[in-house]
Amino acid sequence: MKLTIGHLYPDLLNLYGDRGNIQCFRKRLEWRGIEAEVIPFLSGDEIDFTKLDIVLLGGGSDREQELVCGFLQNIKDDFRNYVEDGGVVLAVCGGYQLLGKYYKTDKKTIEGLGVLNITTDWEPERLIRDIVLDSPLFDRPVVGFENHGGRTEIGDHTPFGKVTYGFGNNGKSGYEGVIYKNVIATYLHGPLLPKNPHVCDYLLERALKRKYGEDAVLEPLPDEMEKKANDYIVERYNDKKYILKETIKRHT
Amino acid sequence: MRLRSKLAIRAAKLTSILIKKMKRGSGVTLPGYVARRIDPNILTAMAEQVRGKIIVTMGTNGKTTTNAILCRALESEGHKVIINRTGANMLNGIISAFVLATDRKGKLDADFACIEVDEISSVGVLPKLKPDCALLTNISRDQLDRFGEVDITYNKLLTAVKSVPDTTLIINCDDILSYSLAEESGNKFVTCGISEQIFDDISRSEIRESIFCRKCGKKLEYKFFHYGQLGIYHCPNCGWERPEPDYTAQNIELQDEVYSFDLDGMHIDSTARTPYNVYNTLSAYTALKTMGAGYAGFKDMIEAFDYGNNRESIFTIDGARVQLHLAKNPIGFQQKISLVLKDEKPKDIIIQINDTAQDGRDISWLWDVDFQYLADSNASRIITAGTRRYDMGLRLKYEDIPCETTTDLKAVVEDCAKNGTKNLYVIVNYSGLYRTNHMLAELEKGGADK
Repeated sequence: MKLTIGHLYPDLLNLYGDRGNIQCFRKRLEWRGIEAEVIPFLSGDEIDFTKLDIVLLGGGSDREQELVCGFLQNIKDDFRNYVEDGGVVLAVCGGYQLLGKYYKTDKKTIEGLGVLNITTDWEPERLIRDIVLDSPLFDRPVVGFENHGGRTEIGDHTPFGKVTYGFGNNGKSGYEGVIYKNVIATYLHGPLLPKNPHVCDYLLERALKRKYGEDAVLEPLPDEMEKKANDYIVERYNDKKYILKETIKRHT
Repeated sequence: MRLRSKLAIRAAKLTSILIKKMKRGSGVTLPGYVARRIDPNILTAMAEQVRGKIIVTMGTNGKTTTNAILCRALESEGHKVIINRTGANMLNGIISAFVLATDRKGKLDADFACIEVDEISSVGVLPKLKPDCALLTNISRDQLDRFGEVDITYNKLLTAVKSVPDTTLIINCDDILSYSLAEESGNKFVTCGISEQIFDDISRSEIRESIFCRKCGKKLEYKFFHYGQLGIYHCPNCGWERPEPDYTAQNIELQDEVYSFDLDGMHIDSTARTPYNVYNTLSAYTALKTMGAGYAGFKDMIEAFDYGNNRESIFTIDGARVQLHLAKNPIGFQQKISLVLKDEKPKDIIIQINDTAQDGRDISWLWDVDFQYLADSNASRIITAGTRRYDMGLRLKYEDIPCETTTDLKAVVEDCAKNGTKNLYVIVNYSGLYRTNHMLAELEKGGADK
C-alpha cells in the first residue's frame, strides 16, 4: 500500500514546526510497512489533486498568507472537489483560516477557498497558549499550542473539539476547529500530530479506506513516548494549582 | 539632577540591597521597576550623564556576545563603560544597570554605555535612551509565542528605530530582514556581511524566514546561504539585492576548532568556535569603527576574548570533557548540531528542553531543527531532560534516533562522566542555563577536591 501526501506551499506556510506533521504522517506509515510519498508544492506549482491521498495546508504569517491567497484562487475548484469527494485534509492555523470564506485583517480582506462555511476576523490581541481539547472522535484528549490573531466563526459546522484549557476558535465559544467530511481544520500547532498520534492515525486510516476500501486497517503502534508527551500536557492543565500559578504570572 | 531622580536612585539601591540580603535572586530587574515608578524619566536622566556615546545591541541571536565584545573593546582603551548584564535586557533591567552604577550622590561616571535591548522592549527603551548607534545582529524566529510572528518582531524594531531618527544603525546585510528594516527606517546605516561561502552544509538548514522580496513580493534568488536565512540574495523581478557590505570578514578558516579571518587589514586568530561568533565579531568591529572608538587595539583584544560567556563552557568532571551549550532557537540549535558533528570522537549527548516563559512556552521550533544529522554523530547515548523531555524525545524518535529521558539531570551527567565516552555534550535552552552551569561547576570542583 502507498499514500501520497501533498504539502501545500511549504515555502510560504511553514510556521511553528508544522513540517513535523508531514514527518509524523511519513514515519507512521513507514513504521507499518506502508509506502509514503511526500510531494511539496511550491507557490505557483500545478497541483493534480487526483493523485493525492492527504493534503496538508499549514500556517504562515499574515503577509505570507496574502501571497498564498493569490495561488489558491487558481486551485479553488479542484480543492473543493477533492474535499467533497472525501479527500483527507489537515489544515492548521493559517491553513484553517484559508479554507473559509475570508480572513479579514486590519488592512485587508483575504479571500479563502470557501471549502468551509466559516469566516475569520483579525483582532490585535493574539490568543497564545497551550491548549487541550476533548474531541468526539477520540477517547484521548488532543493537545497543542495555539497562537492566532484571527477569531473564527464556524456557523453550523461541527467543531473539532471542546476546549478544556485554552482559547479555541474565537476565545469565547469554548470550541476549537472544524471537522467536515475527511477534513480536520484546527488552530493547534505543537506540531499537532506527533503528540496526538490518534489524530494522525485517524487521518491515515481515512485516506487508506478511501483508496483501498473499507477493509484497509492500520496496525496499532506502541506509542509510549507519544502518550507520555500527550499525558504531560493533559495532566499539567488538570492541575488547578498550576493553572492558578500561570494566571498570576501572566498578570504580573 | 532633580530631586525626584535622586530619590528614585536611592529607592532602587535600597531595593537591590534588600533582594540580595533576602537572597531572592540576583536583583537585576526590580530596582529598575522601583526607580521607574518614582521617576518615569529616570532612564533619560541617566542616559544624559553618559559622557561619550551610547550604543544599543538588538536582534535575535548574538546580542549578549556582541555587546560583551563592544564593552571589552572600549574598556581595553581605558574607557568607563556601563553595561547591562545577561538577562536584564528589558526596560526594568536596563534602568537597574544605570542606577546601580551611580555613586553615592547618584552621579554616573561613564564614558560609554553598551546596552543590550530585547526586541519587544525596544519600542519603550530607544526613545528614552536616544542611542548614538543601534546594532542589529539579525532578525529570525525566536520564542515565537511571545512575539507572535517574525513580522511582529520586525515591526516592533522598525517602530523603535524610527522613533530615534538620529541613531545610526549597524546591520548585517546578509540578513534580508535587517537590510530591509534599515532601508525602510530612513535612519543612516552602516552594513557588514560576509561575501564568501564559508559555512558547511549542515549548518545551512532549511529554515527560511523570508525568501520573498520585501519590495515586490516575488521570490528572491539566493547565490548561496551561510546558515539560516543569511546569504547573498537578489530579486529577479525588481532588482533589489544584497548590497556590497561596508565591512567584511575574508579568508575565513576553521582550524583546530577555532576560526581565523581577515578583517579590515588585520589577520585575526580568534577563539571563536562557531560561525555566528565570526558574525558577532564583525558587527561589533563595524560598530566600533562607526562610533570612532575602541578599535585601535581590536586584534589583541579579540584574540584574547572568551566567547564562552557561560554559554559555551567546558568542564572536566571525573576525567570527562563536558561541554555546556545554549540552544534557544532553531538557528542556534542547528549551529550546535553542526558543532557536535565536527567532533568525530564517540560522545554522549544530553538535551534539556524547558518551556518556561523565559524559554518561550511554544516548543514547536524543535521541529524546525534538522535533527536527522545526529544519527551520524557517533553518539553512544542521547538523553533528553527538562519539562518538555518527551517532546524532545519524540522529535528524535521521528528521525528514528533512539534516546532515553530523565528527570534527574545531575545523576545522568555523573553517570555519563564516570561510565560514558568521556566526551559529554550538554545542550540546554535558556532557563536551564544558569542552574546547569552552576551544577557542572560544582561537579568539577567536587572532583578536584577529592
